[in-house]
Amino acid sequence: MPVMLPTVLKNLFGGPATRLYPVTVREPFDNARGQITFNDDKCTLCGACALRCPADAISIDKEKKTLNFHPARCIVCEVCVLGCPSDAIDLGFKWRTPFYKKPLEVHEARGKKPRTPT
Amino acid sequence: MATRTVVPFGPQHPVLPEPIQLRLTYEDEKVVEVTPVIGYGHRGIEKACELNEYAKNIYLCERVCGICSYQHSATVVEVMERLWPVELTPRINYLRTIWSEMARCHSHLLWLGLLADAFGFESMFMQFWRIREKVLDLLEQTTGHRVIQSVNIVGGVRRDIDEQQKKMIIDVLGVVRKDSQSLINTLTSDYTVKARTVGVGVITKEQAISLGCAGPTLRASGVSEDVRLTKYHAYGELNFEPIVETSGDCFARAVVRARELLQSIDLQLEALSKMPQGEIAVKVKGNPPANEAVMRTEAPRGELFYYAKGNGTRRLERMKIRTPTNANLPAVLVLLPGCQLADVPVNVLSIDPCISCTER
Repeated sequence: MPVMLPTVLKNLFGGPATRLYPVTVREPFDNARGQITFNDDKCTLCGACALRCPADAISIDKEKKTLNFHPARCIVCEVCVLGCPSDAIDLGFKWRTPFYKKPLEVHEARGKKPRTPT
Repeated sequence: MATRTVVPFGPQHPVLPEPIQLRLTYEDEKVVEVTPVIGYGHRGIEKACELNEYAKNIYLCERVCGICSYQHSATVVEVMERLWPVELTPRINYLRTIWSEMARCHSHLLWLGLLADAFGFESMFMQFWRIREKVLDLLEQTTGHRVIQSVNIVGGVRRDIDEQQKKMIIDVLGVVRKDSQSLINTLTSDYTVKARTVGVGVITKEQAISLGCAGPTLRASGVSEDVRLTKYHAYGELNFEPIVETSGDCFARAVVRARELLQSIDLQLEALSKMPQGEIAVKVKGNPPANEAVMRTEAPRGELFYYAKGNGTRRLERMKIRTPTNANLPAVLVLLPGCQLADVPVNVLSIDPCISCTER
């Protein structure tokens, strides 16, 4: 019985180990993987992100010049962020909020491919 | 004439982390027969690995199990690297070792909490999981996610541990070690814990070898076998000895895992102090060649075995996964007949069943 006594006293006089959720929210760390956001000004529709995505969450439509992203399929593995040659994808550290219906984000890409000097 | 009753244990039971059904035949509170029914967690991962491009298999295979996820990730990446073979830098091996041991810490803390919950000691369950939160926060700060780390790529790792993070890891691990030690003292000396686990579910050394058990289940019966002795990753340069107990009952399995938890914290601190400088990723060119490779690592539950066969295209020909609970489940079928009703949860939990690993 005396073996557990220090833990019992620490728990009696210390605060609770849990947070009061809606009042105090846990802030994720800076290095955490949160959610993906696309920067429409830099995207050139090269398709490198869609090729690499393991969950098939990104698809490119070259006729309509749009990028379709399904956030519900995304596993936040960061492969698209590292593979984008124009740095058009950002990884934030805050987690997504829950949703009732699975959304589909349609982005109109406006970036221009850099001209290679001849 | 004693009456026989068939009671289904599972698939949903508070003690089981994952679903499995055991149909137990009782004769007045003593178990007489066990029939397992498996298949609740089968997802067809081995077949899906043949349909994916090889680099995407990492994200698939690390989701085989949520508790031993890092060891699956490290093994699948290493087995694919052995197809070329790719020459890794020492820093990559040390980083993978540190994260492997961190994952082992969180897995053993989870299991110790579940064991306490299995016989009703809920306050110790909550204390163990409170310590586990600190280890999960460490994993999030160094790799990005708490449970599925996604930090390995073919040819290296994606994130590095810098000096500031190293100091933080050393401080947090010191606190974790002190807190775990005081709880482990309670676990090993409290008479209620001993009354429920000592002498319960004995596996002798010969039975353990003939049933093909792996990991702490084997080491608690007196066999000194650990895959880390084959010196993969950076284990050849660390001071490592397997932990062995001889009595073979549930108490011995709990003591082996508790001592492995403390040993794993020491291994991480040693690896952090010895880690050399270098690149964290190596360039890998081309498709996996037509070759076969095999990799064995020590997951928290035992020996994890991966086999990969490439055929020169972007997709692998075959991926075979043999998980440790696959080898430990027959031991449960031998332990249960003859035990009392109240000992069934403790016996099933003592091999650390990870059914989602078994039924990938």
